[in-house]
Amino acid sequence: MTDLARLQFAVTGSLHFLFVVLTLGLAPLVAIMQTRHVISGKPVFARMTRFWGRIYLINYALGVLTGLVMEFQFGLSWSGLTHYAGDVFGAPLAIETLVAFFLESTFLGLWIFGWNRLPKGLHLACIWLVALTAYLSAFWIMVANSFLQHPVGVADRGDHLALTDFPALLSNSSLVMAFPHVIGAGLFAGSFLIIGASAYHLFRRTPEQEFFRRSLRTGVVWALVGTNIAVGFGYAQFGAIDGTQPGKFNGAVPGMALGNMILIGQLVHLIVLFLLLPLLFRDLLARARWLHPVLMIMTPLPFAAAILGWLAREVGRQPWLVYGKLTVADAMSPGLTEGMVLLSLIAFAGVLALLAVVDILLIARAVHQGPKVDDLGAPGPAEPSPAPVLAL
Amino acid sequence: MEIIWLAVLAALLIGYFALEGFDIGVGMLLPVLSRARERAGEPGPPQRHRDRLVAAMAPFVLANEIWLVAAVGTLIGAFPSLEGEVISGLYSVVVALLVSWILRDAALWFRRRMDGAAWRAFWDAVLCAASWGLALSWGVALAALVRGLPGTAFDAAGLLGGAVVAAVFAFHGRAFVAWRLAGAGETRPAARRLWLSAVVAALPVAVPLVAMAPALLDHAASPAALGVLNLIVLPVTPILVGAQVWVWRTFGPSRSAGAAAVPSFF
Repeated sequence: MTDLARLQFAVTGSLHFLFVVLTLGLAPLVAIMQTRHVISGKPVFARMTRFWGRIYLINYALGVLTGLVMEFQFGLSWSGLTHYAGDVFGAPLAIETLVAFFLESTFLGLWIFGWNRLPKGLHLACIWLVALTAYLSAFWIMVANSFLQHPVGVADRGDHLALTDFPALLSNSSLVMAFPHVIGAGLFAGSFLIIGASAYHLFRRTPEQEFFRRSLRTGVVWALVGTNIAVGFGYAQFGAIDGTQPGKFNGAVPGMALGNMILIGQLVHLIVLFLLLPLLFRDLLARARWLHPVLMIMTPLPFAAAILGWLAREVGRQPWLVYGKLTVADAMSPGLTEGMVLLSLIAFAGVLALLAVVDILLIARAVHQGPKVDDLGAPGPAEPSPAPVLAL
Repeated sequence: MEIIWLAVLAALLIGYFALEGFDIGVGMLLPVLSRARERAGEPGPPQRHRDRLVAAMAPFVLANEIWLVAAVGTLIGAFPSLEGEVISGLYSVVVALLVSWILRDAALWFRRRMDGAAWRAFWDAVLCAASWGLALSWGVALAALVRGLPGTAFDAAGLLGGAVVAAVFAFHGRAFVAWRLAGAGETRPAARRLWLSAVVAALPVAVPLVAMAPALLDHAASPAALGVLNLIVLPVTPILVGAQVWVWRTFGPSRSAGAAAVPSFF
């Protein structure tokens, strides 16, 4: 039964991360595009904001849907965790939902539906606040996760852990290098989606050549930033892990995951640095049509790396839920039956996997259609007259 | 200090029912309200009426549903040992509630992402069914909480709870649509009715909150943990409130003639 509950958490968690990593990458890039529009007034940046913003939003939907299940799952299947460590683990989760995600969702609604309604400057502020609060969310989730990897700032009181030193949670050696690593991974994923989609339109010689030439440039520049951060802060974690979780990557799964993630990160980093970046000179990359299929094929790589990294970090923690203190098996909610867990596994994994497939197809379709479809921020037809009385 | 966090939890849950209640209500009544608009002589096919109804609530959904995410976060942070007990004690109800919530949101995000009547009609049907699922699971959950988590939540009392919550959400949803799509000159009485229906929608959650208050206070996190929450969350409360007020100031009916202009992103 523990295996079923673990499988449920692993499936929903992987799906969540797959979409969230793109959210983290695209939010600041869309904000930068909109900023360039507000400063320069050039229409191309407004179109870029709407097109990439639309893809960001289609992706965002699944991040939220999977995230809802993640939040409730702690209580559903793992009430032993909140019983034993809720005093410590609960605070960052509460701050994440109450402050960061609460504001992110509110500002995102204002951004989506405030187009052509809010003043330009305030509308721009909304997307920057969305990006900022998304990073804040990631930070507090990583604070909670790092506590599970390396429980600091607590005193063992037998049947539970008591919080003694909150600042220690924020300077946790499992957090300080891993958080920027995740931010880098987000930019890596966001920029490679932009690169792959741009390559698709350039290769097919669609009418939007200028639009995607610019997008490709943006993508490559941020791919360099993202891979640099991800690779740099990736290696920087080894020192701390050797001290806190020795032998973490010795198992078959974490070892395989870590090796392949490093392979992808290293390889793509070199390609970006020594091939894609130099080819930005005189837009050589945009004109090198033979290279475009290669760029398209590379699009899934950062997502694969993100899942592998997550597997290495989390499977490498087993059998512990709170490292060295509480095992996964001991954290299961009491009174659960095999049937209940199986039912919820099928319900969550089935529904979310189906929606994830639909979402990925919708993203692919949005990329294929290009910027001509703009249901995001479209000026819209003039409204006839206010609706008359609603007779009921 | 526990009293502060009990008040925060109560405010978030009551806020969720008073705000998200009308989104759920509009979803439940989508076919009914769209037919009512048709009978009232509004031009356009049924799909156009449904689009307008969804556009009416669209700018509020993200700002409303987040109150529940925050409430559960508060439960985890401020009342950790009770959180697992309550949520795992309501296991199958919570699963039903979450699946309904996921499908309702998916319907909103997806319904306009493809052209074609069948695609949108399909997601509108999902939106309606999932909104019913949400209201009914909430009713079952509240009835179970009042009775102290009985063995089976899906019994007569649970169904009665479901019926009550479904009724108040539908009432609230109808009042919201009347306010958001009100003509010039009718917004004031419509706003008064919306306030009234918000109070009615919040009543069902107030009852179990009162019933559970002693247990909640007994299971509060340690003073050290609550102190951290006080330090970080309370100072930003004005920003949280300000952001919500901004939503209502931006998307009120009086702001522009095309309050719920179609096409909207949802």
